[in-house]
Amino acid sequence: MLARFKEYIQKNTTLSDEEFGHIASGVQQKSVKKGTVLLKQEEQHSKTFFVAKGLLRAYTIDGNGKEHVVHFAPENYWIGDRSSFYHHEPSLFFIDAIEDSEIISIGLDFYERSESVAPSFNSYLIRLLHTNSILMQKRIIMLLAATAEERYLDFVARYPDLLLRVPQWMIATYLGITPESLSRVRKELARRNFKR
Amino acid sequence: MKNKAVQQVLAPPAPHMVGDGFRVHNFFPSGYNMGNKRMSPFFLLDYNAKIEFGPTDTPRGVGVHPHRGFETVTIAYHGEVAHHDSAGNSGVIGQGEVQWMTAASGVLHKEYHSEAFSKNGGTFQMVQLWVNLPAKDKMSPPQYQTLTKENIGQVNLPDNAGRVEVLAGEFAGTKGPARTFTPIEMYNLHLNAGKSVEFSLPENFNTGLLVIEGNITVNDTQEAPTDHFVLFQNDGERIKVTANENAVVLVLSGEPINEPIAAYGPFLMNRHEELEQALRDYNQGKFGYLEE
Repeated sequence: MLARFKEYIQKNTTLSDEEFGHIASGVQQKSVKKGTVLLKQEEQHSKTFFVAKGLLRAYTIDGNGKEHVVHFAPENYWIGDRSSFYHHEPSLFFIDAIEDSEIISIGLDFYERSESVAPSFNSYLIRLLHTNSILMQKRIIMLLAATAEERYLDFVARYPDLLLRVPQWMIATYLGITPESLSRVRKELARRNFKR
Repeated sequence: MKNKAVQQVLAPPAPHMVGDGFRVHNFFPSGYNMGNKRMSPFFLLDYNAKIEFGPTDTPRGVGVHPHRGFETVTIAYHGEVAHHDSAGNSGVIGQGEVQWMTAASGVLHKEYHSEAFSKNGGTFQMVQLWVNLPAKDKMSPPQYQTLTKENIGQVNLPDNAGRVEVLAGEFAGTKGPARTFTPIEMYNLHLNAGKSVEFSLPENFNTGLLVIEGNITVNDTQEAPTDHFVLFQNDGERIKVTANENAVVLVLSGEPINEPIAAYGPFLMNRHEELEQALRDYNQGKFGYLEE
């Protein structure tokens, strides 16, 4: 799994093999089974995760016991609670594994080490932050102003294979619609696009 | 004529569940790291060894999922398997019957124990094969063939040795009913204890036997117990199967498809771009719609 992490880091930065070796020296590699809980809501947690293989999700549970998926993290995605990671605040959500997964677990020291080993790594982190902010903005717009179909089409454009990997009810909670609405959207798309 | 040499006798790998209705041992491609091409044109063999299911009001099975680029062949040895698809087809296969579904350009379907079987529970045993299609046929229209007692080729063996059900190809002059896109031989041997059958298959065909029931000896030298898979080398043509006890054996043999493979989940194509297209088509509803 470290090989996949290395491939990802070197694809997105100008780090040499030696530099990568330095920054990766403190990371933990973990294999987790489907259903493993990595972070609980309200816990304070100083780790964030890179998904080398598999699928994690971040979700909250509301006062009625209903789940709401905030974020899916398939291969080459990062996932973590930033307020907990950076500000040592109680976590806003749960993180668990939807599939058996291989993950890299990193702490704040990873970033400190990276900046001292390879200053160019900083520009990568900034790009990652911007990407994440933009993603969050789009997500807010989708949840506030988009129809169910628009939300669904945006989702499958971003995550092309998750419809095969995630139960439909769980995708519905991510989209902020009911499972019945999601079924209706898919039925309508099939009506328009399926040719016998 | 030279004997086909046995390469290996494989014990069933650790099983996993497909949905909540099928407890399968995957002999290939994953089990034993056999890979995508060792048993081409057969891409996958999932074997649900004999198991007892209790009664239930809600039939167990696997929910709606797509397929593109290949065929699924489901053989029911015990119990009954029902299916529905997005083109409006449905059916039930019972003991000894075969559903040969050419998914090709794409279907959505679901498979589950039949209502009748679920209500009473009972013994369940099944094989599912994924048969690859040549590139030129991967996007052809979906079609079904149901192989039943009425149309399956039957050959009675001499000397009270038993019988052979011919599913595809030809055995002793009797043809199997399945239309295949590439040359395939597929039979169920039903052998009485102590008796033998001999047959020949082309040297270059990828060949294997799955022992569904009983215990056999292959070519007088290699024993294979129940639930084991006998993998043959690509040399020689003749196979002799002797039943040490009453035996049922699935024979799989086919001409390899020498084309690149790009596989992801339920899509089996030739190039990565085709997998991406399959995902887009699935997401956009081009495989149709099917209620869970």
